[in-house]
Amino acid sequence: MDRIIQQTDYDALSCKLAAIAKGYLPAPQFSDPNEIESYKLIHSAYFNTLKTHSRRIYGKINKSISSSFPVMNIGTYLRTVALDSQIETFLQKNDKVQIINLGCGSDLRMFQLLNKYDNLTKYLDLDFKDSIYFKNDILWNTELFRDTLHLERSNETDGELAHSDRYKLISCDLKDTTNTMTILQSLTDSQIPTLVITECLLCYMPQLESQTLINSIISFYRVGEWLSYDPIGGDQPNDRFGLIMQTNLRESRNLEMPTLMTFNSKESYASRWNIISNDIKTNIDIKDMWEIFNSDIEPTEKQRLKKLQFLDEFEELKVMQTHYVLLNAQWEHAL
Amino acid sequence: MDADLDTDMDMDLDMDVPMEETGTDGATATTLTAGGSGNDGGAILDITSNKSSTPSKLTTSSIGTLDGWIERLGNCEFLSEEEVSKLCKMAVDVLQFEENVKPISVPVTICGDVHGQFHDLMELFKIGGPCPDTNYLFMGDYVDRGYYSVETVSFLVAMKVRYPSRITILRGNHESRQITQVYGFYDECLRKYGSANVWKMFTDLFDYFPITALVDNKIFCLHGGLSPMIETIDQVRELNRIQEVPHEGPMCDLLWSDPDDRGGWGISPRGAGFTFGQDISEQFNHTNGLSLVARAHQLVMEGYSWSHQQNVVTIFSAPNYCYRCGNQAAIMEVDENQNRQFLQYDPAVRPGEPTVSRKTPDYFL
Repeated sequence: MDRIIQQTDYDALSCKLAAIAKGYLPAPQFSDPNEIESYKLIHSAYFNTLKTHSRRIYGKINKSISSSFPVMNIGTYLRTVALDSQIETFLQKNDKVQIINLGCGSDLRMFQLLNKYDNLTKYLDLDFKDSIYFKNDILWNTELFRDTLHLERSNETDGELAHSDRYKLISCDLKDTTNTMTILQSLTDSQIPTLVITECLLCYMPQLESQTLINSIISFYRVGEWLSYDPIGGDQPNDRFGLIMQTNLRESRNLEMPTLMTFNSKESYASRWNIISNDIKTNIDIKDMWEIFNSDIEPTEKQRLKKLQFLDEFEELKVMQTHYVLLNAQWEHAL
Repeated sequence: MDADLDTDMDMDLDMDVPMEETGTDGATATTLTAGGSGNDGGAILDITSNKSSTPSKLTTSSIGTLDGWIERLGNCEFLSEEEVSKLCKMAVDVLQFEENVKPISVPVTICGDVHGQFHDLMELFKIGGPCPDTNYLFMGDYVDRGYYSVETVSFLVAMKVRYPSRITILRGNHESRQITQVYGFYDECLRKYGSANVWKMFTDLFDYFPITALVDNKIFCLHGGLSPMIETIDQVRELNRIQEVPHEGPMCDLLWSDPDDRGGWGISPRGAGFTFGQDISEQFNHTNGLSLVARAHQLVMEGYSWSHQQNVVTIFSAPNYCYRCGNQAAIMEVDENQNRQFLQYDPAVRPGEPTVSRKTPDYFL
C-alpha cells in the first residue's frame, strides 16, 4: 500500500511538468519575472536527472505529459498557484519561520522559497523512505540543486541524505506519529511560527493516524498555519463523484482513499483542525478549488489560460474542482 | 545543462497545433502527414477523390458489406484501415448531399454528446430502441475523451450509410482536426492502427457532416448554440460548411456557443464561440417560428437541462462522462404529436473488458 501511495508522486510530477510544458505554469499573476525562468529551469533540471536515474519512470512521466488534458492542466495550475500564494503570504507576514512539507514527493517549492526568503530558517521535506531517497539522488546529482541549495553529504555510502543548514530531507512513515514528532522536535523550534503543508497526503492516511498527526503538530508548535489540499467525496444526494473516484482508483491501481467519503464536504474536512481547547486559538478557512478559480484568478489571467488550449468542457472543470479543497488553518497557543 | 525536457516539451506543444496557426479550411488544416501503415496510402487515404455527382442507392452487395461491418462494430471490434476507407467514401456520397440545415420529421429521438463511450452508446440504443426502428438524431461529439472513439464513430457512420433516412449525425466541435489532436481521437487512431491514416480519413469526412437539423420546422438542433452573425435559419443554409471548423465566425459559433443566465452575447470561457442569454434565444425562436433550440455540448448532471424558460434544452448522452463525473445521460424522444419525453440512463457495464487495460481516469493525486 505504501508503495502504491508513493507512486502518486509521479502523477503529481507529471501533472506539474505538463502544466509547465503547456505554459500554464509558472503564472505571471503570482510570480516575479525573474522567477519565471528559474521555475522552468529547476523543473527541467530535475526531470533530466530523473531520466538518468530511472528510464522507466522517465518514460512513464513523459508519456503522460504528452497526453495531458486541458482540464488537468488547469487543475494543476490552480492547485499550485493557490498553495504558492498562501505560502508566500505566510512568509511575508512573519519574521522567522519554518516550513514542514509532509508527503513532499518530488515537490521543488523549497528551491525558490529558500532562495527568496532569508527569514525561512528551516525547510523540511518529509516522505516515505523510497520517495526521499529518490528525491535525494536527483537533487544530489544535479549541479543546480547541489550548488544553490548548498547541499552537503559527508558520507554518501552510509545512506546519509543530502542536506544544508536550512534544508533537510527526512525519510519517515507519517502514519507513525510518535516517530514523526520525535524527528520534528529534534530539527525544529516549537516557538518559531511554522507552516505545515499537506498536498494530497491526508487523503491516503487512515482517519485515526491523520487526526493524531494534526493534533500532535498543533500541540507542539506555539504558532502555526496548516495548508492542506485534498479531494473531498461530495455530500449532495446525487453526487457520485467521490464513490466513483474510490472505485476507479481501487480497480485500476489498488489505491485507497480511506476518508474521502468521511470528510466529504468542506465543513467535515475542516472539522479536523477545530481543536476544542482553552489554550489554543484556531482560525480556519476552507474553499473548494472552483471557488478559488472564481475568486482568486484575475480576468487577465483567465484570458491567458483560455489562449493556451481550448477547454472543451467547462462543467467538467467545475465538477472536478468542486471536489478538491484548500484548507488554511491557523493556530496560536495561549501564552 | 542539456535541454532534454525543453525538447520533449516543444514536441508536445507542436502536437497541439497552436490555435492561431491552424488553417481554417480543410486543405491547409491537414497539417499532419499520414503514413506508416506500409501500403501506398494515396488512393485509400483520399476519401473525397471519387465523389459521386448524384445521390446513389445502396446495392445488395454494399448492404451485405455494411451489415457485416455493423455486426462487428456492434461487438466493439474496429474495422481495418481499408474498410474504414471504403466506409468513409460511401459516407461522403451520402453526407455531401445533406443540407446545412437537415430537415427531419417526427418521430425522432434526439441525442447529445457520446464521446467515445461505446458501451454507453449501445445502452442508448437499448433505452431508445434499435435503429432503424427508431429514428435518431445525434448532435455531435462522437469522438475524444472516451476510450472507444474509433468504434463509436465507425458504428455511427456505418449506420448512417446503411440507413441514411433513419439516422442523422451532425457535427460537433470535437469533429475537428485540431481538437481531436488534443483530446484523444488522434492518439487512439495511432494506437489502434499504427498510423494516422484512419484519423485523416475520419477528420476529412467530418467536413461533410451537416451542422444543424430542423425537426418539423419547430425544433432547431445543433451541437453548440447561437451565433451573433446568424439571425435566421436561412443564413445557416448559406454557409459553406465543407471545411475544418473555423476558429471564429458563424460556423464556429454554432458548434461552440453555450446558453447563459446573463442576457445578450458574452465571451465564452471556452476560448471559442459565445454565450447567449434568454433574450437572444427568445428572439431567435420568434424570428424563425421555432418552439425550441435543442443542443448538446455541455455536461449536465441529469443528462438534460432546460434553460431560458424552455427556449433551450441541453441534452448530454455520455453517462459518467470520462468515467469520472458521475452524471446521468439522457435522450429526448419527440413523438408524432411533437410531445417530448426525456429518457435518462446510467453507464453500461463494460463486458469483457479486461481491468488491466483500463486506464485510470485522471485525478489530482
